[in-house]
Amino acid sequence: MKHTDVIVIGSGLAGLTAALASARQGKSVTLLSYGSSSLSLNSGLIDFLGYDDSHKAVKSPREGIMGLPETHPYSKIGMEEIAEAVDFFRDFAKEYHMPYHGSLDKQILVPTAVGTLKPTCLAPHSLAGSESLEGKKKIVVAGIRGLKDFYADIMVENLKKSLGDDLAYETIEIETPLTGGRDITTLDVARWLDTPEGVDSFSKQLLAYKGKKDTAVIVPQVLGTKGHACYLTVSSRIETDIVETTGLPPSTNGLRLNAMFRQALRDNNVEIVENTKVIGSKCEGKACKCVIAEAGVREKTYTADKYILATGGFYSGGITMRSFDQPEEPIFHLPVYSVKGEENWSNEQLFSDKPQGYAKTGIMTDETLRPVDEQGQHVLENVFVVGRDLGGYDLCFEHSGNGVALASGYKAAKM
Amino acid sequence: MSEEKDKAIYSADHCLSCTSCMSSCPVMEATQEYRGPKLVGPAHSRMHFSQEDYEDSLDFCSNCKSCDRACPSGVAVSTLNMLQRGEYYRTHPHKQRDQMLAHGEDMGKLVRSLPFGAACANLGMKIGKSLGVFGMLGIAGKRDMPSYASQSFYSWFKGYKQQPSDKKVVFFPGCFINDNEPQVGIAFVKVMQKNGYEVLVDQKFNCCGSPMVVTGYLDEAKEHAHNNVARILEWKAKGIPVIACCTSCSLMLKEEYGELFGEDEMHEAGANVYDAFEYLAIMEEKGELNTSFKEVKESLMYHVPCHLKSQGFGTPAKDILEEVPGVSVELADAGCCGISGNFGFKDDKYEISMKVGAKLFERINISQADEVICDCGTCRMQINHGTQVKPCHPIEILAKAYGE
Repeated sequence: MKHTDVIVIGSGLAGLTAALASARQGKSVTLLSYGSSSLSLNSGLIDFLGYDDSHKAVKSPREGIMGLPETHPYSKIGMEEIAEAVDFFRDFAKEYHMPYHGSLDKQILVPTAVGTLKPTCLAPHSLAGSESLEGKKKIVVAGIRGLKDFYADIMVENLKKSLGDDLAYETIEIETPLTGGRDITTLDVARWLDTPEGVDSFSKQLLAYKGKKDTAVIVPQVLGTKGHACYLTVSSRIETDIVETTGLPPSTNGLRLNAMFRQALRDNNVEIVENTKVIGSKCEGKACKCVIAEAGVREKTYTADKYILATGGFYSGGITMRSFDQPEEPIFHLPVYSVKGEENWSNEQLFSDKPQGYAKTGIMTDETLRPVDEQGQHVLENVFVVGRDLGGYDLCFEHSGNGVALASGYKAAKM
Repeated sequence: MSEEKDKAIYSADHCLSCTSCMSSCPVMEATQEYRGPKLVGPAHSRMHFSQEDYEDSLDFCSNCKSCDRACPSGVAVSTLNMLQRGEYYRTHPHKQRDQMLAHGEDMGKLVRSLPFGAACANLGMKIGKSLGVFGMLGIAGKRDMPSYASQSFYSWFKGYKQQPSDKKVVFFPGCFINDNEPQVGIAFVKVMQKNGYEVLVDQKFNCCGSPMVVTGYLDEAKEHAHNNVARILEWKAKGIPVIACCTSCSLMLKEEYGELFGEDEMHEAGANVYDAFEYLAIMEEKGELNTSFKEVKESLMYHVPCHLKSQGFGTPAKDILEEVPGVSVELADAGCCGISGNFGFKDDKYEISMKVGAKLFERINISQADEVICDCGTCRMQINHGTQVKPCHPIEILAKAYGE
């Protein structure tokens, strides 16, 4: 039975952050992972708080967070640690060659693939939309021939609404050697742009806009898979601002971030065990003694002084529900909060400006991120809960998913 | 009945179309011709199993299983592909090379039955390669076919005198270790002897069937599964585990039989099969591993085979070898090597296979490590082909640490 200081269960943004922050404190860490990280499905933008509880846009996430109810994970984490987590992340991102811009004090508005603008807090330069778009007179939307899920014309229609129709708009289509086979994805194009030929061809096709300071070129998320290297090369060649959009998965930027984390974890000697699903634990009193994971045909036991639960809540099987009003956390059998009463479970419209009751399902903790029962008493002393497993917030509604993941992952590592 | 979750055919409906498998598929990264695991595996197999409808790009799946490991929902994507491939070849003719690529075991037996068979076969393969015979058969002409060792593992084993012991394990060498790299099996036997175990062999075992599954000879693979499962269960009844050093063999015996064919006995038998270092790590947990190692001054770069990653027990070879004084182990962490069993031997897949392996080759070429280690025989061939470095199995380093 291998013993490490810390075991992190789950390799989404919360788990990766918890593992890296723990390792940077000199702890030995084992990361148990099932399925590839959810970052391939994640924009890799760090939203902290986009909308308040009446769905009004939040101008300053820092101020918005101060006004949240005490049941919200941010209130448990505390502003000091949230700010530290931001610094921690920005330092890490810079060190691994994709610096992130932004702060807790204002929102960056990032164009989506359909031309709406989404608020976020931290973004790599290629995705820091509003910072590059400000003051531009002309927007060029560059589609890619054969690329699904990115339609320049639709995008322009919507950009006119969000940026104003007094700007000049133009659409172009970039040719690649990728056509003729299957449908291509942004990831295919990004991999082409990892090659010197790809960058050459791509930059050449944008030369008509070279040096035009009043113009920005908007492209899907295709500027390479390796940090911001490709963004820097293309920007320097065309000497014009170039802006990526968010889009449908696979998410190139999420994959960039994932690759950075993996490299950092390797550099910090974190042991990553792939393809192993943690299915249970053994606890004595208020201490977890070990967790039990599937290892193919048999089970394997892992022990640590401290366990960080980052299994992704409902969306990733971190919380399950077989019968109504009885959500379960299958590894430690922690108490799970959920709204009571079927009528409060969801509102009729899936895409609405009202929160969904079910979305707040999760584990309640105290300010140390240790799980607590309904009386507020610790259930386990050496287990910490992070990311989407936490209860009391609706990440889709308020745009806070990666912010909570990052801040809680960082704080749990510190405890 | 086997639990639903253990049978691949039921797992397609768990697919959410999230694209995790697409981002992880090394073949998709190398070619635009493959439509990818999501569409070919779960999406298409739902239709395929109810009607005559074949996806052309199914042939591009190398069965490296990166998709299965990427899937957050437990879909056995690659196995769905292999089941479809098996269905396809029920009604379609095989390519000429398939017979040869799927039946290394038969070739080996033939070679061993002739006087000077190994030497003649090796010479024949050299001549064949220079005359372009393999290319004509549809086998990648740039590759060397695995050469036959002058003495097979089984033949060596017959002449080797072990210390008898009550603690016994059965060693499943698999075709490649038996015919091509018996030194791996020899190292295993010596390591187990140093740990007070007596190693048994069972020549009634067949080839695990992995080369057949990936080449579309599914019925034949099932016959092998039935034979091997019966043997494993017989050993299980005696309380003796079966251990393999080849990670594709161990994965097939442990998990893939059950996934592919879904019979209860297959799951039962799988639980009695171990990868060599998995077993050594379990011994260590019980405090039973002999850790009086001699110093071995070597820095090692470890390419972890895909089929070992799939087994979900981490990298015990790294943990154990790092306990040997003088040894350091660095993970290559550069993805699939690209050969994936017999995939890279097919002439029309050779370029893809080399493109997939390029990251690993580069990592090894710039590495300062003294030696490259890898548990999988065909990965070792690919590394050798792509870098000129000759890797060994981690068990060979451990044998060295015991002074063997």
